[in-house]
Amino acid sequence: MDINTYKAQRANYYKVLGGLLLLTAITFIQPHMFLEHYTFAAQLSIGAIKAWLIVMYYMHMKGETLIGWTVVFAMSLVTFFFIVVMLDVEHFQYEDGSHITSQPHIEVDYGHHTASHEE
Amino acid sequence: MSHEEHGHEYVPEIATTRDGKQFEVQGWQGDIYGGKLGFWLFMLTEIMMFGAMFLVLTYYYSLHPQDFIDASSHLNRLLGGTNTVVLLVSALTMGLGLLKMRAGDVKGAKLMIYATIILAFIFLGIKAVEWREEYVHGVFLGLDALQSGNEHSRPFGQIIFYGMYFTMTGLHGFHIIIGIGLMVWLLKRINSGKVTTEHHILHFNIALYWDLVHLIWVFVFPYYYMIGAGHGH
Repeated sequence: MDINTYKAQRANYYKVLGGLLLLTAITFIQPHMFLEHYTFAAQLSIGAIKAWLIVMYYMHMKGETLIGWTVVFAMSLVTFFFIVVMLDVEHFQYEDGSHITSQPHIEVDYGHHTASHEE
Repeated sequence: MSHEEHGHEYVPEIATTRDGKQFEVQGWQGDIYGGKLGFWLFMLTEIMMFGAMFLVLTYYYSLHPQDFIDASSHLNRLLGGTNTVVLLVSALTMGLGLLKMRAGDVKGAKLMIYATIILAFIFLGIKAVEWREEYVHGVFLGLDALQSGNEHSRPFGQIIFYGMYFTMTGLHGFHIIIGIGLMVWLLKRINSGKVTTEHHILHFNIALYWDLVHLIWVFVFPYYYMIGAGHGH
């Protein structure tokens, strides 16, 4: 690597650092300054922009066509898998037998009497 | 004894650089592109692991948003934010170290790796202070507040939130410790001349690993520390 390439890449690293620091500052002021009722979505959006900067410049993904598409393909599969899991869990959640968030409602038969209680 | 005597002919492995030049691979360090691709595949498994945890977190947030916001508002954002900046700067030092190695400045590269190790220890120290603070306030894995069915029990959503918080920040911290170990190993290999300006794939991949650790924190921080910001405390 020649000295000019080295200097150009080093300057890029500092620019990305500046961008990441700025986004971190926005992370802190966002809940008090704007989109106060959408903090979760706003925070994750800022996180996604930071992630993009890291992947493209610090992880040298910019210009890496083959590895880039490999990652996109793999991430698409994982996202599809996660969506299916979420749909499945959401469906299961509202069935009577769900044990995910609430205590099971159990019917106990004591012969003549049927008692119902939360276990 | 030659390969031919066993009926196997020696077939050299040919790698191609991005600008189309072909060369024979001399050991795994010679195939920088293959090394990078392999490491990216490993990192995708890490993303799947943490991704599943984020999925669980998002799901329970959708069910118990107020519990999550209340629990998040009690976390120490000053310490969490400091750690965010520490990791951010450490990603820069690691990247500059690789750049210096590629430019032939081995001494500068080693200095940058040492700086990254120091920053990693600072991160762990801050995290330890934070966990201790939470333990003192009675919020820690195994304590009554995070067990259901007793007078000190927190609401269900908060138990999930804190359980996931300790699990994920703990797992992330474990990755930091592994990163320190990898950097120490890298320094050893540089000192013994096994990682050089020409053969720096190990340095490249460890820098990638460190960026992954940083990348995970980029989502851990807002998920846990910031969703409750602006709600008191």
